[in-house]
Amino acid sequence: MSELVEVVVRGLGTGSVYALLALGFVVIYRATRVISFAQPAFMVAGAAAVSYLSVEIGYVLAVPVAVLIGAGLALAVERTTIRPMIGKPVFVIAIITLGVDVVVRVFVNALIGADVRQLGDPWGLETVALLGVAVQQRFVASFVVTGLVVAALFAFLRLTRYGLAMRAVALDQEASMAQGVSVGKVFALSWALAGGLAAVAGAFVGTGSGIDQTTYIVAFAALPAIILGGIDSIGGAVVGGLGVGLVQSLVAAYQPDVAPWLGSNFQVVTPYLLMLAVLLVRPYGLFGTPEVERV
Amino acid sequence: MTTTLPTSRETPRTAGVMPTRRRSRSLRGRPGMFTSYAQELRLFNTRPKRIWVRLIILGALFIPLAVTDEWLRLLAVGYVAAIGAIGLNLVTGYAGQVTLGHAFFIGVGAYTAAVISGDPNGSTLGLGITFLPIWVLAAGVVAGLCGLLVAPLAVRLRGLYLAVVTLGLVFLGEHIFKTWDAVTGGPGVGRPAAVPSLFGYELDQDGPVFSAMQQMYLLMLTLLVIFAVLARNLVRSKVGRAFAAVRDRDIAAEIMGVGLTKHKALAFVVSSFYAGCAGALLYTVTGFFDPGSFNLLLSVQFIAMVLIGGVATISGSIMGALFITLLPRLVQELPSLLPAVSSSPTEFPNVFQVESLLYGLLIIGFLIFEPRGLFGIWIRIRSYWKAWPFTY
Amino acid sequence: MTTQGKTTVAVLLTVGFALTACRVEGDGSEASQDGGGVQTDVGVTSDPCPEAVNADNGCIYLGTISDLTEGPFAPLAVPIVAAQEAFWQRVNEQGGIGGYDIDVTTNVRDNKYNPEVHNQAYQEIKGEVLALAQTLGSPTTAAILDDMKASDVVAAPAAWTSAYEFEDVILESGTNYCFEAMNSVDWAVREFDAQTVMAVHYPGDYGGDAAAGVDAAAQALGVEYAGVETGQGTTNQGTAIQAILTQQPDVVFVTTGPGDAAAIIGQTAAGGFRGTFVGTSPTWNPALLESPAAPALKAAYFQSGPWAPFGGDTPGHEAMREALGDVTPSDGHTAGWIWSYPMKAALEAAVDNGDLTRAGLLEAVKGLETVDYEGMLPEAAGNYAGEPGEAAFRQSVISKVDEAAPTGVSVVEDLFASEAAEAHEFSGPCF
Repeated sequence: MSELVEVVVRGLGTGSVYALLALGFVVIYRATRVISFAQPAFMVAGAAAVSYLSVEIGYVLAVPVAVLIGAGLALAVERTTIRPMIGKPVFVIAIITLGVDVVVRVFVNALIGADVRQLGDPWGLETVALLGVAVQQRFVASFVVTGLVVAALFAFLRLTRYGLAMRAVALDQEASMAQGVSVGKVFALSWALAGGLAAVAGAFVGTGSGIDQTTYIVAFAALPAIILGGIDSIGGAVVGGLGVGLVQSLVAAYQPDVAPWLGSNFQVVTPYLLMLAVLLVRPYGLFGTPEVERV
Repeated sequence: MTTTLPTSRETPRTAGVMPTRRRSRSLRGRPGMFTSYAQELRLFNTRPKRIWVRLIILGALFIPLAVTDEWLRLLAVGYVAAIGAIGLNLVTGYAGQVTLGHAFFIGVGAYTAAVISGDPNGSTLGLGITFLPIWVLAAGVVAGLCGLLVAPLAVRLRGLYLAVVTLGLVFLGEHIFKTWDAVTGGPGVGRPAAVPSLFGYELDQDGPVFSAMQQMYLLMLTLLVIFAVLARNLVRSKVGRAFAAVRDRDIAAEIMGVGLTKHKALAFVVSSFYAGCAGALLYTVTGFFDPGSFNLLLSVQFIAMVLIGGVATISGSIMGALFITLLPRLVQELPSLLPAVSSSPTEFPNVFQVESLLYGLLIIGFLIFEPRGLFGIWIRIRSYWKAWPFTY
Repeated sequence: MTTQGKTTVAVLLTVGFALTACRVEGDGSEASQDGGGVQTDVGVTSDPCPEAVNADNGCIYLGTISDLTEGPFAPLAVPIVAAQEAFWQRVNEQGGIGGYDIDVTTNVRDNKYNPEVHNQAYQEIKGEVLALAQTLGSPTTAAILDDMKASDVVAAPAAWTSAYEFEDVILESGTNYCFEAMNSVDWAVREFDAQTVMAVHYPGDYGGDAAAGVDAAAQALGVEYAGVETGQGTTNQGTAIQAILTQQPDVVFVTTGPGDAAAIIGQTAAGGFRGTFVGTSPTWNPALLESPAAPALKAAYFQSGPWAPFGGDTPGHEAMREALGDVTPSDGHTAGWIWSYPMKAALEAAVDNGDLTRAGLLEAVKGLETVDYEGMLPEAAGNYAGEPGEAAFRQSVISKVDEAAPTGVSVVEDLFASEAAEAHEFSGPCF
C-alpha cells in the first residue's frame, strides 16, 4: 500500500512536467494549427538557464527569470522562422520547428557541457511524509506548482482580454480578424506562453538527477499526452500529461515483476501504447473536437 | 540549324485521337514540346533528359576510377540512403501521408537481412545465407509486411495525428530492438551487418580487379538505378496518379472512385519495402551496427533528405540523400577554412556543433526560401537557361 | 559497330584511364625507408608534424576515437584526451622518439559510445595513422577488433575488459574489470561481512565482464549473487532501482557511467536502501559530489580502480600533474596518462628494431616484457610477451569518497590481489 502511494505521487510529479509541456504544445496548436517540435529544446533551455542562474540568485528567483528567458527565446523563434511561413502547409511548418529544435539544442548543449549539471533546487532527494508514507518532496512541489500554473492559465484565458482573443483565434481565425483581433499578436503570445511553460517544466525535470545533453528526450513523452487528451483541448493536455505520468510510474514499478519479458524500461514506450489504445476508441482524443473536412 | 516542320503530325485527322503506336519525333530546337500523349508518358520524354541521364550514369560509373575509397564509401552510403529517401517520398511526397516512422522500417529491414546472412556461429542469430538478392528482397518483404500491419491505423488518421502515431512506432521499434538482443546484440554492443555476396563472390572484400569500396559503390549504384526506375514507373502509372489525388484532396478522390484505404495502404507498403531494402544495404558498407541507431534522429534525417531534395520528385530524393550524406564530411573540412572553428570537442565552436547547426539551419532555410528543395533550384536553373537570352 | 560508336568507346576508355591516375595519388600507404634506415609504412612521415615541437623530426600519427560529446563517459573521456595530449607533448619536448615527433591531435574522432559510429570513425582515420593512441569503450572497440587484427593496427584501449589480455593488438594497462571485481568482492566480504551481492551493469564487454567477475568471486566465497542489466540514461535506471529496493542485497557492485550510478545510488538511498555500493573505476566522476546524491555517496560509496587516483604519490603522478598544469582534476587524466606508457615503450622498441611499420610495431609489442610506468604501476604490469594466464596483472585499488582529495576519492587499500583473483584460472575472457 505504501508503495502504491509512493508510485502514485511519483507519477503525478513526473506527469506534471508532461502536463506543462503538453499545455505548451496545445496552446501553439490552438492558435496556429501546428505542432511545434521545438518544445524539447525550450525545456532544456529553461533548465540550463535555471542551472546557471540558481548559482547566482538562488533557485526560487531563478525560475521566474528562466521563464522570461524561455518566453523570449520562443518569441524570437516565432518572429524569425514561423512568421514568414503563415499560410504554408502545416506539415512544412512542423518540420521547420524540428529544425529549430536541432539548432537551439546545439547552443544549449554547449552551455550544458559534457558533465551533468545540477539545478540547485532545495528539494534534492529529500522526502516528506504524506499519508504516513515517505514521498519525495520534489514530486509534491512539481505537482503543486503545476496546479498553480494551470489555474493561472485558465484564469488568463477566461478573465483577460488577451485570453479572450486567444480563445477567439482558436475557434475561428478569419472571424476573429474581422472582429479586430490582432492574430499576429496572438501567435506571438501563444509561442511566448509555450516557451514559458516549457521553461517551468525544465526547472522541474532536472530536480533529483540534474540535466545533461540527453535530457531533451523526456519531452517527447508529452506528444502522446496531447494526442490522447485531444490536440486542441487545454483540459485534455493536463489530463493527458498527468495520465501519462501516472501510467508510466505504475508500469515502471510493477512491470518487472508482472511481465519481465516485455523488456527493461518498458515504461518509455507505454505512453505511445496508451495513445494508440485511446485513438482506437476515440480518434480525436478524449476531449478533442472532431475535424470537419470539406471537399 | 534549321527547324523542319513536321509532315503529318498536325493534320485534323490525327488531332484529338487516342495515342497511336506511331513513333513521335521530337522537334529539333523545341525539346519540351510533346507531339503525342504516348511521348509525354515516356520515362525520359525529352531528348535532353535522355542525354543527361546517360551522361550522369556514365559519370557515376567512372567515379570509382577517379576517387579514393573514403569518398566511395560515402557515396555508396548516399546511394542507399537515396533508396530510402525515394521510399519516403513515395508515401509523404506523392501520397501525402506524413510519416515519421521511416526509421522503424529501416531497422526491420536491416535486422532481417543481418539475420538471414549472419554468421551462424556468431553471438547473434544468423542463418548464413549470404546471397545478395535473397536477403535484400526478404528484408524488403518483411518490412513491407510491417507496413501492411501499420496501414489500417494510418488510413484512419490524418495529418499531424498520423505523424505522432508513426513517431510512436519509432519508439516502439527502438524498444523492441533494444530488448531483443539475440537478434540485435543489445544496445551498446551491436552486431555485424549483412554480408553481400553474389554467386559466391564476396563483395565486401578486395577483389582481383576492384577494391572492396569500388565493388560496394558499383553495387549500390546499380541497385539505386533499378529502384529509381521502378519508382518512377510507379509514379507515372495509374497508381501514381491515384496517390496524387489522395494527397491533394482525399475526400474528393474517394468520391471520384479512388479507393482511399487501398491506396493509402499501398503507399505505406511500397514505402516500407523501399525502406527495408535500404536498411538491409545501409550497414553493409561499414559492417557493424547498433540497435540505438533506429531512432527519431534517423527518421528526421530522411525527412530532411526528402524536403531538402524536393518533395514529390525522384531525382530530388537522390539529390537530397547525397547532400545530407556528404554534409558531415564536408563540414569536417571547415576548420582548415575557418580557423575559428576548432576540431577539438572541448572548445566552442567546434566541427561537431557546426555540423548539427548547419543541419538544422539547412532544414529551416530550405523550407522557408526554397520549398521545392534542390529540385526546385534545379528547375529554376533549367528554366533560366531554357528561356535564355530572354530570361525576363 | 559504327564509326561513331567506336569513337565513343575510345574516348570513354581514355578518360577512364586518365581518371585512375587521380585515384592512385590519393593513397599514401606505400612502404618506404627514411634517412635513418627505419622502415615505415602507414602513418609515419619524414615531414614534421603540424605544430611540431622539433622542426627537423619526422612525424608519427596516432589516432584517437573517444566519447567526446554524448555518451555516458564524455565527462571522463575529455580529460583522457587532454592527458594523452600532455603526455605526448612531454615526450616531444624531450626530443621525440628515434627522430620522430608524435602527433595525437590531428586524428581525433568522436564515437558517442556507439559501436557503429566508432566503426565509421575508425574507417575514416585508418589510412592516416600508424596505431591508435586511444580507443574508448569495450563494446565499441569490439566492433573494430577484427579489422584491427587484419590490418595489424595496434591500439591502447580506454577500457579494461578481460578479453584484451588475449589480443596481441591491444595494449591494455592495469588489471581488467573481471579481476578488479573479484578483488572488490573479496574486500567487501571481508569489510562488511556481506552475504548477498548484486551486480548492476551495462550490457556488453564492459558491464558483462565485471558482472562475470562478481559472479565468479561470489561462487568462490560462497555468497549469493544476483545480476541486473541496465541501460544508458539517467531516466532508464528504474528497473535497477526497483531490483535493489526489492531484493535488498548487502553490497551492490555498480558498473555503469557516472550519471547513471548517481541516479541509482541517490534514488535507492531516498527509497530507504542502506547497503554499500562499490563502483568500477569508470563509474566515478568528482562532479557527482555536487549532485543531490552526494550525501548517499559519501555515506555508502566506495570505488575500485586499477591504480591510485590523481592525487597519488609516485614520480609518474607528479610528472602528470606538472604536465597538465591547472586543470580540474579527474581520474580520466590519470587513466589517459598511464595508458600512454606502453605505447611509448612499444614505439621505442620498434625504432630500436629499425621497423616502424605496422607489422614491426606489432612485433615490438609482442616482445615487451616490462614497461616503465614511472612508479604508477609495477614494471611487471607491462608484460605483453607472456601467456595471459601468467602475465596478466591482477592487482587493484579500493578508494573511498574524500572531498579533500583532488578527484574526490582517496585510497583505503593500495594495490592488492585477492585470493579469488590469484586462484582464478585465466584461460579465456571472463565474458
